[in-house]
Amino acid sequence: MGAAKQALRATLGEGPEVSMADDGPDGALPARQAATGLKVLPIVEGLVLIVALILPLFLQDYLTVFATRVVILALFALSFDLVWGYAGIMSFGQALFFGAAGYGVALMARDLNITSILLVLPAGTLIGLTSSLLLGGFLLLGRHPSSVIFVALGTLTGSYAADRLARGWYYLGGQNGIPSIPPMSLGSYDLTEGPVYYYFALGILAIVYLLCRFLVRSQFGLALAGLRENEQRIAFFGYKTQHLKAIVFAVGGTIAGLAGSLYAFHEGFVWPNMLGVVISTQVVLYVLFGGSGTLIGAVIGAVIIEGVSFWLSDNYREIWPIILGVLLLLVILFRPLGLISFVLGERERVGSFGAARKEKRNAAP
Amino acid sequence: MASTFVAAFEILSFGAIIVLVVLGLGIIASMMGIFNFAQGEFVLLGAYVTYLAFSRGAPIWAGMLAAPFIVGAFGFVLEALIIRRFYAAPIVAMLGTYALGLIIRESVRGLIGGFYLTVPEPIGGSIDIGTMHISAWRFTIIVITLLVIGGCYLLLSRTSFGLRVRATLENPALARASGISTPMIYGATFAFGAALAGLAGALIVPVFSLFADLGIRFLIQGFVAVMVGGVGSFIGPVAGAGLIGTLSAALPWVMAPVIADVLVFVLAIVFIKFRPQGLIAGKGV
Repeated sequence: MGAAKQALRATLGEGPEVSMADDGPDGALPARQAATGLKVLPIVEGLVLIVALILPLFLQDYLTVFATRVVILALFALSFDLVWGYAGIMSFGQALFFGAAGYGVALMARDLNITSILLVLPAGTLIGLTSSLLLGGFLLLGRHPSSVIFVALGTLTGSYAADRLARGWYYLGGQNGIPSIPPMSLGSYDLTEGPVYYYFALGILAIVYLLCRFLVRSQFGLALAGLRENEQRIAFFGYKTQHLKAIVFAVGGTIAGLAGSLYAFHEGFVWPNMLGVVISTQVVLYVLFGGSGTLIGAVIGAVIIEGVSFWLSDNYREIWPIILGVLLLLVILFRPLGLISFVLGERERVGSFGAARKEKRNAAP
Repeated sequence: MASTFVAAFEILSFGAIIVLVVLGLGIIASMMGIFNFAQGEFVLLGAYVTYLAFSRGAPIWAGMLAAPFIVGAFGFVLEALIIRRFYAAPIVAMLGTYALGLIIRESVRGLIGGFYLTVPEPIGGSIDIGTMHISAWRFTIIVITLLVIGGCYLLLSRTSFGLRVRATLENPALARASGISTPMIYGATFAFGAALAGLAGALIVPVFSLFADLGIRFLIQGFVAVMVGGVGSFIGPVAGAGLIGTLSAALPWVMAPVIADVLVFVLAIVFIKFRPQGLIAGKGV
């Protein structure tokens, strides 16, 4: 924990250019730079951002509403990518935090009449944080390290149980969920669906994305990547792997909570599926498809899957899930790193950590 | 007295159904280390085959007899084509089998539509014991479940095929060195697990009727049961399934069904957390 914080500080201000300029006087510099070539990742990220910014200018109203939903789901995908793509924790029940926050803010709006953005978004985020801390702490910490299978099935079961609870509990609206949630408000202004909501969600996505990017490019992120690749070795280096995992699980849950509260107010209702296996697996699909272990991959995956399913749902509603399954199988078998790996090299996927090294080296003699 | 007996029968018969569904899942998880997310869809396929036979005018019992063989053959092909590539990575196997399950489930949904299709019980009516009536078909399911458990146990513990399966589980490298074709054994084990799921689907379809999400309903319960019972042995998942099945059928009699439903899962997860090896530890039969 202390090491992670220190690492965070050490990498302050590290940008892609800085890290590239310093692959170090270890002799292999020209070869490695040639192999790396042009940095693709910032270009992809920039393109996605530009497209996202100008998109509403070309869309009709109902498509803007759809685009907003996709942006929120991309935020949710980011949370899962952090947990699975970077730390290698298979959180098969990520929707638990998404839905719990959604139900939480829906109840606040329904029973307490609280719709102020300044209250509901922090509340939703807090719900995500608390629930993921509890579940993650229970599943991951303890004397015996938990097996990956146990964590995967434990999260899945948690999400399924929450789904069943919401379905059967009258206070939560049972099968129908909680309908007609009033819009979020800031003072007297109501934030209803449309371009404003789109840019609001996009702004949050961009901020969270940058924070995540900073996190995974820090030494903490490097430790996470090591965790994913070879947990035992990271443990031998003296990292408390279970703690690292619990921290990143809680961060993921927090983001999922934020996304869930945005989603609840955007859709105007919450229903049990939001907690359950359906959305949980949906987010797994986004990330696997786009490319786990790259943040932008999660976003792209969410956009592509939601976009294509929206486009196909008019004419091919029945066969779309079958196509989705086949595509997913093909990706798992032949492109385990997702679509992003067509343009992004393995070296860039892990990221480089030159700036941190430089500082240490300067300090050493 | 009578109502207690009926309740006990209900609990027993639901427990038997869960055991039947979990058997194949448990064998694949224990003997191969793969948590097969498509197992629910194998159950669904078994049910679908039975329905097809029935709707074509064949006797129901013929469909039920054919279902395990058809689903088993299907599982064998899937293993050879796809599942085989996943052995090294258990999480990837989960995702891959999930994708397979999605394909199968949605295909069946496309074939039957969003309907609930009923298949009549091949043995209808009820068994009367004094003033009490119990469903003859549910009673048959209990008997068949016991027979299947016994058969599987004998197959794994007494035959040379079972010996090879256990050898492959215990030490694949040594098994290969001793001349056992481990890929063949894995294929046969997977097909066997799939066939059991097909049988389960065929037997339960008169009770639950046929709908596309039939398998999903049991999948998570099945996984929890396997983990509670203990991965690695044949008898572990069976014990786990018996416990989870009877518990989730019995608890609603004493408390609100919603709470009982969730409580079973919570209890199971807590149990696994503190006893990761499950009810029955150890490898083998």
